[in-house]
Amino acid sequence: MTARSLPPSVIATLPGGHYTDENIFALEQTRIFESMWFCVARASDLGKPGAFRTVQVGRESVLVTRARDDSIRAFLNVCRHRGARIRTEESGEVKRAFQCPYHAWTYDLEGKLIAAPNLTKMPDLDRVEYGLVNVAVREWMGYVWVCLADEPPSFEVDVIGEATVRLGDERAIESYDIANLAVGRRIVYDVRANWKLIVENFMECYHCATIHPELTEVLPEFADGYAAQSFVGHGAEFGEEIRGFTVDGSAGVDRIPGVGEEQDRRYYAITIKPQVFVNLVPDHVIWHRMFPLAADRTIVECDWLFLKDVVDAGTDLGPSVELFHRVNEQDFAACERCQPAMSSRAYAQGGVLVPSEHHIGAFHDWVINRLGAGSG
Amino acid sequence: MIPVCPLANLPRGEAHRLDVDPPIAVFHTEDGEIYAVDDTCTHQDASLSDGWLEGCEIECPLHASSFDLRTGRPSSPPAKLPLRTHRVVVSDDTVYVVPSEEPPNLPPGVRAGTV
Repeated sequence: MTARSLPPSVIATLPGGHYTDENIFALEQTRIFESMWFCVARASDLGKPGAFRTVQVGRESVLVTRARDDSIRAFLNVCRHRGARIRTEESGEVKRAFQCPYHAWTYDLEGKLIAAPNLTKMPDLDRVEYGLVNVAVREWMGYVWVCLADEPPSFEVDVIGEATVRLGDERAIESYDIANLAVGRRIVYDVRANWKLIVENFMECYHCATIHPELTEVLPEFADGYAAQSFVGHGAEFGEEIRGFTVDGSAGVDRIPGVGEEQDRRYYAITIKPQVFVNLVPDHVIWHRMFPLAADRTIVECDWLFLKDVVDAGTDLGPSVELFHRVNEQDFAACERCQPAMSSRAYAQGGVLVPSEHHIGAFHDWVINRLGAGSG
Repeated sequence: MIPVCPLANLPRGEAHRLDVDPPIAVFHTEDGEIYAVDDTCTHQDASLSDGWLEGCEIECPLHASSFDLRTGRPSSPPAKLPLRTHRVVVSDDTVYVVPSEEPPNLPPGVRAGTV
Protein backbone atom coordinates (compact mmCIF):
# COMPACT_ATOMS: atom_id res chain seq x y z
CA MET A 1 0.00 0.00 0.00
CA THR A 2 1.47 3.36 -0.95
CA ALA A 3 1.30 5.82 1.90
CA ARG A 4 -1.12 8.61 1.18
CA SER A 5 -0.83 12.02 2.63
CA LEU A 6 -4.08 12.57 4.52
CA PRO A 7 -5.40 15.44 6.63
CA PRO A 8 -5.14 14.62 10.37
CA SER A 9 -8.88 14.10 10.85
CA VAL A 10 -9.03 11.02 8.70
CA ILE A 11 -7.14 7.78 8.28
CA ALA A 12 -7.08 5.44 5.30
CA THR A 13 -9.33 2.44 4.78
CA LEU A 14 -8.07 -0.66 3.04
CA PRO A 15 -7.60 -0.22 -0.72
CA GLY A 16 -10.61 -1.23 -2.83
CA GLY A 17 -8.90 -4.37 -4.06
CA HIS A 18 -9.07 -5.91 -0.59
CA TYR A 19 -12.80 -6.23 -1.08
CA THR A 20 -12.76 -7.74 -4.56
CA ASP A 21 -9.52 -9.65 -5.09
CA GLU A 22 -10.05 -13.43 -5.12
CA ASN A 23 -6.43 -14.00 -4.06
CA ILE A 24 -6.88 -11.85 -0.99
CA PHE A 25 -10.13 -13.64 -0.23
CA ALA A 26 -8.31 -16.98 -0.57
CA LEU A 27 -5.74 -15.78 1.98
CA GLU A 28 -8.52 -14.70 4.31
CA GLN A 29 -10.08 -18.15 3.98
CA THR A 30 -6.90 -19.93 5.05
CA ARG A 31 -5.45 -17.47 7.53
CA ILE A 32 -8.60 -16.20 9.15
CA PHE A 33 -11.66 -18.46 8.71
CA GLU A 34 -9.78 -21.79 8.69
CA SER A 35 -7.39 -20.73 11.44
CA MET A 36 -9.68 -19.15 14.04
CA TRP A 37 -12.68 -20.25 16.06
CA PHE A 38 -15.73 -19.91 13.81
CA CYS A 39 -19.31 -19.89 15.12
CA VAL A 40 -21.39 -22.26 12.97
CA ALA A 41 -24.72 -23.15 14.59
CA ARG A 42 -27.03 -22.87 17.57
CA ALA A 43 -26.66 -26.02 19.67
CA SER A 44 -30.46 -26.37 19.60
CA ASP A 45 -30.26 -26.69 15.79
CA LEU A 46 -28.84 -30.11 16.59
CA GLY A 47 -31.74 -31.19 18.76
CA LYS A 48 -30.92 -34.89 19.07
CA PRO A 49 -28.31 -37.46 18.05
CA GLY A 50 -28.09 -37.68 14.27
CA ALA A 51 -29.38 -34.14 13.61
CA PHE A 52 -26.85 -32.38 11.41
CA ARG A 53 -25.97 -29.17 9.64
CA THR A 54 -23.49 -28.50 6.87
CA VAL A 55 -21.72 -25.16 6.95
CA GLN A 56 -19.05 -23.42 4.88
CA VAL A 57 -15.95 -22.49 6.87
CA GLY A 58 -13.29 -20.96 4.67
CA ARG A 59 -12.83 -23.35 1.75
CA GLU A 60 -14.21 -26.32 3.63
CA SER A 61 -17.67 -27.77 4.01
CA VAL A 62 -18.06 -28.89 7.62
CA LEU A 63 -20.57 -31.48 8.83
CA VAL A 64 -21.75 -30.70 12.38
CA THR A 65 -23.79 -33.26 14.30
CA ARG A 66 -24.75 -34.55 17.71
CA ALA A 67 -23.39 -37.97 18.69
CA ARG A 68 -25.10 -40.67 20.77
CA ASP A 69 -23.50 -39.37 23.98
CA ASP A 70 -25.11 -35.97 23.23
CA SER A 71 -21.77 -34.31 22.52
CA ILE A 72 -21.49 -32.15 19.42
CA ARG A 73 -19.03 -33.33 16.76
CA ALA A 74 -17.77 -31.74 13.57
CA PHE A 75 -16.07 -33.31 10.57
CA LEU A 76 -14.82 -32.27 7.18
CA ASN A 77 -17.70 -33.19 4.88
CA VAL A 78 -15.60 -35.47 2.69
CA CYS A 79 -15.66 -39.26 2.32
CA ARG A 80 -12.24 -40.74 3.08
CA HIS A 81 -12.62 -43.21 0.23
CA ARG A 82 -12.91 -41.22 -3.00
CA GLY A 83 -13.79 -37.78 -1.71
CA ALA A 84 -17.53 -37.51 -2.29
CA ARG A 85 -19.45 -35.00 -0.18
CA ILE A 86 -21.13 -36.95 2.58
CA ARG A 87 -24.15 -34.62 2.83
CA THR A 88 -25.15 -31.76 0.56
CA GLU A 89 -28.29 -30.50 2.37
CA GLU A 90 -27.99 -27.53 4.74
CA SER A 91 -29.57 -29.52 7.55
CA GLY A 92 -31.23 -32.83 8.21
CA GLU A 93 -31.20 -35.88 10.38
CA VAL A 94 -29.70 -39.34 10.06
CA LYS A 95 -30.93 -42.26 12.08
CA ARG A 96 -27.65 -43.88 13.01
CA ALA A 97 -24.83 -43.13 10.66
CA PHE A 98 -23.53 -41.01 7.81
CA GLN A 99 -23.31 -43.01 4.64
CA CYS A 100 -21.54 -41.79 1.55
CA PRO A 101 -24.02 -42.05 -1.33
CA TYR A 102 -21.26 -43.10 -3.76
CA HIS A 103 -19.86 -46.43 -2.47
CA ALA A 104 -21.70 -46.64 0.86
CA TRP A 105 -18.74 -46.06 3.14
CA THR A 106 -20.56 -45.65 6.44
CA TYR A 107 -19.45 -43.63 9.46
CA ASP A 108 -20.98 -43.55 12.92
CA LEU A 109 -21.92 -40.28 14.63
CA GLU A 110 -18.41 -40.09 16.14
CA GLY A 111 -16.99 -40.23 12.62
CA LYS A 112 -15.58 -43.76 12.87
CA LEU A 113 -15.75 -45.93 9.74
CA ILE A 114 -18.17 -48.69 10.67
CA ALA A 115 -19.06 -50.32 7.40
CA ALA A 116 -18.14 -50.43 3.75
CA PRO A 117 -18.60 -53.04 1.06
CA ASN A 118 -15.95 -55.75 1.57
CA LEU A 119 -14.54 -53.95 4.60
CA THR A 120 -14.15 -57.25 6.43
CA LYS A 121 -11.65 -58.26 3.74
CA MET A 122 -9.54 -55.20 4.59
CA PRO A 123 -8.76 -55.75 8.27
CA ASP A 124 -5.67 -53.57 7.90
CA LEU A 125 -7.85 -50.49 7.29
CA ASP A 126 -7.98 -48.77 10.68
CA ARG A 127 -11.53 -47.61 11.27
CA VAL A 128 -10.56 -44.50 13.20
CA GLU A 129 -7.70 -43.57 10.90
CA TYR A 130 -10.08 -43.87 7.92
CA GLY A 131 -12.92 -42.23 9.79
CA LEU A 132 -14.16 -38.75 8.95
CA VAL A 133 -11.60 -36.02 9.66
CA ASN A 134 -12.43 -34.43 13.01
CA VAL A 135 -12.59 -30.70 13.56
CA ALA A 136 -12.24 -29.06 16.99
CA VAL A 137 -15.57 -28.11 18.61
CA ARG A 138 -16.49 -25.82 21.51
CA GLU A 139 -19.87 -24.80 22.85
CA TRP A 140 -20.29 -21.35 24.35
CA MET A 141 -23.41 -19.29 24.94
CA GLY A 142 -25.46 -22.09 23.39
CA TYR A 143 -23.55 -21.78 20.11
CA VAL A 144 -21.32 -24.31 18.40
CA TRP A 145 -17.89 -23.08 17.38
CA VAL A 146 -15.45 -25.05 15.26
CA CYS A 147 -11.80 -24.56 14.47
CA LEU A 148 -10.17 -26.12 11.44
CA ALA A 149 -6.62 -25.42 12.59
CA ASP A 150 -4.45 -28.37 13.60
CA GLU A 151 -3.67 -26.51 16.80
CA PRO A 152 -6.63 -24.27 17.64
CA PRO A 153 -5.87 -20.94 19.28
CA SER A 154 -7.11 -20.27 22.82
CA PHE A 155 -10.90 -20.07 22.82
CA GLU A 156 -10.74 -18.22 26.12
CA VAL A 157 -8.57 -15.46 24.66
CA ASP A 158 -9.94 -15.18 21.13
CA VAL A 159 -13.65 -15.61 21.75
CA ILE A 160 -14.51 -15.09 25.41
CA GLY A 161 -11.79 -12.43 25.66
CA GLU A 162 -13.29 -10.36 22.82
CA ALA A 163 -16.66 -10.17 24.52
CA THR A 164 -15.00 -9.27 27.80
CA VAL A 165 -12.90 -6.49 26.31
CA ARG A 166 -15.94 -4.85 24.72
CA LEU A 167 -18.16 -5.10 27.78
CA GLY A 168 -15.31 -4.37 30.17
CA ASP A 169 -16.37 -7.14 32.50
CA GLU A 170 -16.30 -10.91 32.30
CA ARG A 171 -19.68 -11.32 33.97
CA ALA A 172 -21.52 -8.70 31.92
CA ILE A 173 -22.46 -11.13 29.14
CA GLU A 174 -23.21 -13.94 31.62
CA SER A 175 -26.15 -12.00 33.02
CA TYR A 176 -28.07 -12.52 29.76
CA ASP A 177 -27.94 -16.33 30.25
CA ILE A 178 -27.62 -16.67 26.48
CA ALA A 179 -27.05 -20.44 26.55
CA ASN A 180 -30.54 -20.98 27.95
CA LEU A 181 -32.44 -18.57 25.72
CA ALA A 182 -34.54 -19.95 22.88
CA VAL A 183 -34.42 -18.99 19.21
CA GLY A 184 -37.60 -16.98 18.69
CA ARG A 185 -36.81 -16.13 15.10
CA ARG A 186 -34.03 -16.75 12.58
CA ILE A 187 -33.57 -14.78 9.38
CA VAL A 188 -30.91 -15.63 6.81
CA TYR A 189 -29.60 -12.82 4.63
CA ASP A 190 -27.72 -13.44 1.39
CA VAL A 191 -25.58 -10.32 1.18
CA ARG A 192 -23.77 -9.43 -2.04
CA ALA A 193 -20.90 -7.79 -0.24
CA ASN A 194 -17.47 -8.56 1.15
CA TRP A 195 -17.50 -9.72 4.77
CA LYS A 196 -15.23 -6.87 5.86
CA LEU A 197 -17.74 -4.26 4.68
CA ILE A 198 -20.27 -5.90 6.99
CA VAL A 199 -17.85 -5.92 9.96
CA GLU A 200 -16.92 -2.28 9.37
CA ASN A 201 -20.56 -1.31 9.14
CA PHE A 202 -21.33 -3.04 12.41
CA MET A 203 -18.46 -1.31 14.19
CA GLU A 204 -19.52 2.27 13.57
CA CYS A 205 -22.65 4.34 13.98
CA TYR A 206 -21.66 7.32 11.86
CA HIS A 207 -24.30 6.02 9.42
CA CYS A 208 -27.02 5.50 12.03
CA ALA A 209 -28.84 8.80 11.76
CA THR A 210 -28.85 8.51 7.97
CA ILE A 211 -30.05 4.96 7.40
CA HIS A 212 -31.55 3.74 10.70
CA PRO A 213 -34.55 5.96 11.53
CA GLU A 214 -36.22 3.36 13.76
CA LEU A 215 -33.03 2.53 15.66
CA THR A 216 -32.11 6.15 16.36
CA GLU A 217 -35.66 6.71 17.62
CA VAL A 218 -35.10 4.00 20.24
CA LEU A 219 -31.47 4.94 20.94
CA PRO A 220 -31.30 8.74 20.53
CA GLU A 221 -27.55 8.92 21.24
CA PHE A 222 -26.99 6.97 18.01
CA ALA A 223 -28.02 10.09 16.13
CA ASP A 224 -24.97 12.05 17.26
CA GLY A 225 -22.69 10.24 14.81
CA TYR A 226 -20.21 9.32 17.52
CA ALA A 227 -21.60 6.08 18.92
CA ALA A 228 -19.18 3.30 18.17
CA GLN A 229 -17.79 0.05 19.40
CA SER A 230 -14.68 1.75 20.69
CA PHE A 231 -16.24 2.55 24.06
CA VAL A 232 -15.71 -0.10 26.69
CA GLY A 233 -18.69 -1.22 28.73
CA HIS A 234 -20.93 1.50 27.37
CA GLY A 235 -24.51 0.62 26.60
CA ALA A 236 -26.54 3.08 24.55
CA GLU A 237 -29.52 4.22 26.60
CA PHE A 238 -33.12 3.93 25.43
CA GLY A 239 -34.92 7.21 24.77
CA GLU A 240 -37.14 8.56 27.56
CA GLU A 241 -40.42 7.74 25.82
CA ILE A 242 -39.20 4.35 24.71
CA ARG A 243 -40.75 1.37 26.49
CA GLY A 244 -38.84 -1.44 24.81
CA PHE A 245 -36.35 -2.36 22.09
CA THR A 246 -39.06 -2.64 19.44
CA VAL A 247 -39.69 -1.17 16.02
CA ASP A 248 -42.13 1.41 17.41
CA GLY A 249 -40.72 1.78 20.92
CA SER A 250 -43.62 -0.17 22.40
CA ALA A 251 -43.04 -2.48 25.36
CA GLY A 252 -40.99 -5.56 24.62
CA VAL A 253 -41.36 -8.95 26.29
CA ASP A 254 -40.26 -10.32 29.69
CA ARG A 255 -36.86 -9.06 30.77
CA ILE A 256 -34.09 -11.63 31.15
CA PRO A 257 -33.93 -12.06 34.97
CA GLY A 258 -30.15 -11.80 35.25
CA VAL A 259 -30.02 -8.39 33.56
CA GLY A 260 -29.10 -5.90 36.26
CA GLU A 261 -30.41 -2.38 36.78
CA GLU A 262 -27.26 -0.91 35.22
CA GLN A 263 -27.86 -2.97 32.06
CA ASP A 264 -31.60 -2.31 31.91
CA ARG A 265 -32.86 0.02 29.17
CA ARG A 266 -29.51 -0.20 27.45
CA TYR A 267 -28.15 -1.68 24.24
CA TYR A 268 -24.71 -3.28 23.98
CA ALA A 269 -22.98 -4.45 20.80
CA ILE A 270 -20.03 -6.82 20.53
CA THR A 271 -18.00 -8.00 17.54
CA ILE A 272 -16.26 -11.32 18.01
CA LYS A 273 -13.79 -11.51 15.16
CA PRO A 274 -13.94 -12.74 12.54
CA GLN A 275 -17.65 -13.41 11.99
CA VAL A 276 -19.92 -12.93 15.02
CA PHE A 277 -21.90 -9.87 16.10
CA VAL A 278 -23.91 -9.84 19.30
CA ASN A 279 -26.46 -7.28 20.46
CA LEU A 280 -27.71 -7.33 24.02
CA VAL A 281 -30.94 -5.67 25.12
CA PRO A 282 -32.83 -6.33 28.35
CA ASP A 283 -35.36 -8.77 26.94
CA HIS A 284 -33.51 -10.39 24.05
CA VAL A 285 -30.22 -11.08 22.36
CA ILE A 286 -29.54 -10.74 18.65
CA TRP A 287 -26.77 -13.04 17.44
CA HIS A 288 -25.34 -12.79 13.91
CA ARG A 289 -23.08 -15.39 12.28
CA MET A 290 -21.46 -14.55 8.96
CA PHE A 291 -20.44 -17.16 6.42
CA PRO A 292 -18.18 -15.51 3.84
CA LEU A 293 -18.62 -17.46 0.59
CA ALA A 294 -16.76 -15.29 -1.91
CA ALA A 295 -15.04 -11.91 -2.08
CA ASP A 296 -18.41 -10.39 -2.93
CA ARG A 297 -20.85 -12.65 -1.15
CA THR A 298 -21.60 -13.33 2.53
CA ILE A 299 -24.44 -15.27 4.11
CA VAL A 300 -25.56 -13.83 7.45
CA GLU A 301 -27.66 -15.95 9.78
CA CYS A 302 -29.29 -13.88 12.47
CA ASP A 303 -31.01 -15.33 15.55
CA TRP A 304 -33.33 -13.45 17.89
CA LEU A 305 -33.07 -15.14 21.29
CA PHE A 306 -35.67 -14.71 24.02
CA LEU A 307 -36.54 -16.39 27.30
CA LYS A 308 -37.74 -19.91 26.60
CA ASP A 309 -41.06 -19.26 28.38
CA VAL A 310 -41.67 -16.22 26.20
CA VAL A 311 -41.13 -18.23 23.00
CA ASP A 312 -43.07 -21.27 24.25
CA ALA A 313 -46.05 -19.08 25.18
CA GLY A 314 -46.33 -17.96 21.55
CA THR A 315 -45.77 -14.32 22.55
CA ASP A 316 -45.85 -11.87 19.65
CA LEU A 317 -42.16 -11.25 18.92
CA GLY A 318 -42.92 -9.26 15.78
CA PRO A 319 -42.22 -5.73 17.07
CA SER A 320 -38.95 -6.86 18.70
CA VAL A 321 -37.70 -8.79 15.67
CA GLU A 322 -38.80 -6.13 13.21
CA LEU A 323 -36.54 -3.46 14.68
CA PHE A 324 -33.24 -5.19 14.08
CA HIS A 325 -34.48 -6.91 10.94
CA ARG A 326 -34.94 -3.44 9.49
CA VAL A 327 -31.52 -2.40 10.78
CA ASN A 328 -30.04 -5.50 9.09
CA GLU A 329 -31.76 -4.76 5.79
CA GLN A 330 -30.66 -1.13 5.94
CA ASP A 331 -27.07 -2.10 6.77
CA PHE A 332 -26.80 -4.85 4.17
CA ALA A 333 -28.25 -2.56 1.48
CA ALA A 334 -25.52 -0.05 2.35
CA CYS A 335 -22.84 -2.76 2.12
CA GLU A 336 -24.23 -3.94 -1.22
CA ARG A 337 -24.13 -0.35 -2.41
CA CYS A 338 -20.41 -0.20 -1.63
CA GLN A 339 -19.42 -3.57 -3.08
CA PRO A 340 -19.62 -2.69 -6.81
CA ALA A 341 -17.68 0.50 -6.17
CA MET A 342 -14.78 -1.30 -4.52
CA SER A 343 -13.31 -2.02 -7.96
CA SER A 344 -13.69 1.58 -9.12
CA ARG A 345 -10.67 3.70 -10.03
CA ALA A 346 -12.06 6.19 -7.50
CA TYR A 347 -11.53 3.70 -4.68
CA ALA A 348 -8.26 2.09 -5.84
CA GLN A 349 -6.47 3.55 -2.82
CA GLY A 350 -9.51 3.19 -0.62
CA GLY A 351 -11.46 5.83 1.23
CA VAL A 352 -11.10 7.47 4.62
CA LEU A 353 -12.26 6.86 8.18
CA VAL A 354 -13.55 9.85 10.14
CA PRO A 355 -12.67 10.14 13.86
CA SER A 356 -15.71 8.16 15.06
CA GLU A 357 -14.58 5.39 12.69
CA HIS A 358 -10.88 5.43 13.54
CA HIS A 359 -11.20 2.23 15.61
CA ILE A 360 -12.01 0.42 12.34
CA GLY A 361 -8.37 1.08 11.46
CA ALA A 362 -7.45 -1.42 14.18
CA PHE A 363 -9.64 -3.98 12.45
CA HIS A 364 -7.85 -3.29 9.16
CA ASP A 365 -4.46 -3.64 10.87
CA TRP A 366 -5.63 -6.91 12.35
CA VAL A 367 -6.71 -8.24 8.92
CA ILE A 368 -3.42 -7.18 7.29
CA ASN A 369 -1.52 -8.83 10.12
CA ARG A 370 -3.41 -12.10 9.75
CA LEU A 371 -2.84 -12.15 6.00
CA GLY A 372 0.86 -11.62 6.53
CA ALA A 373 1.09 -14.34 9.16
CA GLY A 374 3.06 -17.32 7.92
CA SER A 375 3.68 -15.85 4.49
CA GLY A 376 7.07 -15.97 2.81
CA MET B 1 -19.53 -76.80 19.12
CA ILE B 2 -17.32 -73.73 18.89
CA PRO B 3 -16.61 -71.50 21.91
CA VAL B 4 -17.46 -67.83 21.17
CA CYS B 5 -16.65 -65.84 24.30
CA PRO B 6 -17.45 -65.65 28.01
CA LEU B 7 -21.07 -64.59 28.48
CA ALA B 8 -19.84 -61.59 30.49
CA ASN B 9 -18.07 -60.27 27.37
CA LEU B 10 -21.32 -60.14 25.40
CA PRO B 11 -23.62 -57.69 27.20
CA ARG B 12 -27.19 -57.09 26.05
CA GLY B 13 -27.38 -55.05 22.87
CA GLU B 14 -23.93 -56.17 21.74
CA ALA B 15 -22.63 -58.43 19.00
CA HIS B 16 -19.60 -60.68 18.62
CA ARG B 17 -18.09 -61.65 15.29
CA LEU B 18 -16.75 -65.19 15.27
CA ASP B 19 -13.91 -65.44 12.79
CA VAL B 20 -14.76 -68.79 11.22
CA ASP B 21 -15.33 -69.44 7.54
CA PRO B 22 -17.78 -67.98 6.72
CA PRO B 23 -17.92 -65.75 9.82
CA ILE B 24 -20.76 -66.01 12.32
CA ALA B 25 -22.37 -63.12 14.23
CA VAL B 26 -23.63 -63.73 17.74
CA PHE B 27 -26.11 -61.21 19.19
CA HIS B 28 -27.33 -60.67 22.73
CA THR B 29 -30.67 -58.89 22.48
CA GLU B 30 -31.97 -56.32 24.95
CA ASP B 31 -34.50 -58.99 26.02
CA GLY B 32 -31.67 -61.31 27.00
CA GLU B 33 -31.89 -63.80 24.12
CA ILE B 34 -28.75 -64.93 22.32
CA TYR B 35 -28.88 -65.66 18.59
CA ALA B 36 -26.25 -66.67 16.04
CA VAL B 37 -26.56 -66.10 12.28
CA ASP B 38 -24.14 -65.76 9.37
CA ASP B 39 -22.27 -62.49 9.77
CA THR B 40 -22.21 -61.65 6.06
CA CYS B 41 -25.27 -59.93 4.62
CA THR B 42 -26.75 -61.96 1.76
CA HIS B 43 -27.04 -58.82 -0.40
CA GLN B 44 -23.47 -57.47 -0.39
CA ASP B 45 -20.35 -58.21 1.60
CA ALA B 46 -20.90 -56.38 4.88
CA SER B 47 -20.57 -57.48 8.48
CA LEU B 48 -23.90 -57.70 10.30
CA SER B 49 -22.14 -57.60 13.67
CA ASP B 50 -21.38 -53.96 12.75
CA GLY B 51 -25.09 -53.42 12.13
CA TRP B 52 -27.91 -52.21 14.34
CA LEU B 53 -29.75 -54.55 16.65
CA GLU B 54 -33.38 -53.77 17.45
CA GLY B 55 -35.42 -56.40 19.22
CA CYS B 56 -34.91 -59.61 17.26
CA GLU B 57 -33.97 -57.75 14.09
CA ILE B 58 -30.53 -56.95 12.80
CA GLU B 59 -30.17 -54.15 10.24
CA CYS B 60 -27.24 -54.27 7.86
CA PRO B 61 -25.09 -51.14 8.21
CA LEU B 62 -24.59 -50.86 4.46
CA HIS B 63 -27.97 -50.90 2.75
CA ALA B 64 -30.38 -51.33 5.66
CA SER B 65 -31.51 -54.87 4.83
CA SER B 66 -33.07 -56.35 7.97
CA PHE B 67 -33.11 -59.96 9.11
CA ASP B 68 -35.10 -61.75 11.78
CA LEU B 69 -32.51 -63.34 14.05
CA ARG B 70 -34.88 -66.15 15.01
CA THR B 71 -35.38 -67.41 11.45
CA GLY B 72 -32.64 -65.67 9.45
CA ARG B 73 -35.28 -64.45 7.00
CA PRO B 74 -34.94 -61.01 5.44
CA SER B 75 -37.68 -58.67 6.69
CA SER B 76 -36.61 -55.63 4.70
CA PRO B 77 -34.94 -55.35 1.26
CA PRO B 78 -32.62 -55.21 -0.62
CA ALA B 79 -31.56 -58.64 0.75
CA LYS B 80 -33.71 -61.45 -0.63
CA LEU B 81 -32.05 -64.63 0.66
CA PRO B 82 -32.07 -65.75 4.29
CA LEU B 83 -29.10 -66.01 6.62
CA ARG B 84 -28.37 -69.39 8.13
CA THR B 85 -29.14 -69.59 11.83
CA HIS B 86 -26.84 -71.43 14.20
CA ARG B 87 -27.72 -73.10 17.47
CA VAL B 88 -26.46 -71.28 20.57
CA VAL B 89 -25.46 -73.07 23.76
CA VAL B 90 -24.56 -71.28 26.98
CA SER B 91 -22.66 -73.51 29.36
CA ASP B 92 -20.53 -72.60 32.38
CA ASP B 93 -20.97 -68.88 31.54
CA THR B 94 -19.48 -69.40 28.11
CA VAL B 95 -21.28 -68.90 24.80
CA TYR B 96 -20.92 -71.63 22.17
CA VAL B 97 -22.37 -72.05 18.70
CA VAL B 98 -23.13 -75.19 16.77
CA PRO B 99 -22.62 -74.19 13.12
CA SER B 100 -25.37 -75.03 10.67
CA GLU B 101 -24.51 -77.68 8.10
CA GLU B 102 -26.62 -76.11 5.37
CA PRO B 103 -24.89 -74.27 2.52
CA PRO B 104 -24.66 -70.48 3.26
CA ASN B 105 -26.31 -67.79 1.09
CA LEU B 106 -23.26 -65.64 0.58
CA PRO B 107 -23.49 -62.47 -1.50
CA PRO B 108 -22.00 -62.25 -5.01
CA GLY B 109 -18.23 -62.33 -5.00
CA VAL B 110 -17.95 -63.92 -1.57
CA ARG B 111 -17.28 -67.65 -1.33
CA ALA B 112 -16.64 -69.78 1.70
CA GLY B 113 -12.95 -70.61 1.89
CA THR B 114 -11.81 -67.22 0.58
CA VAL B 115 -11.72 -65.42 3.93
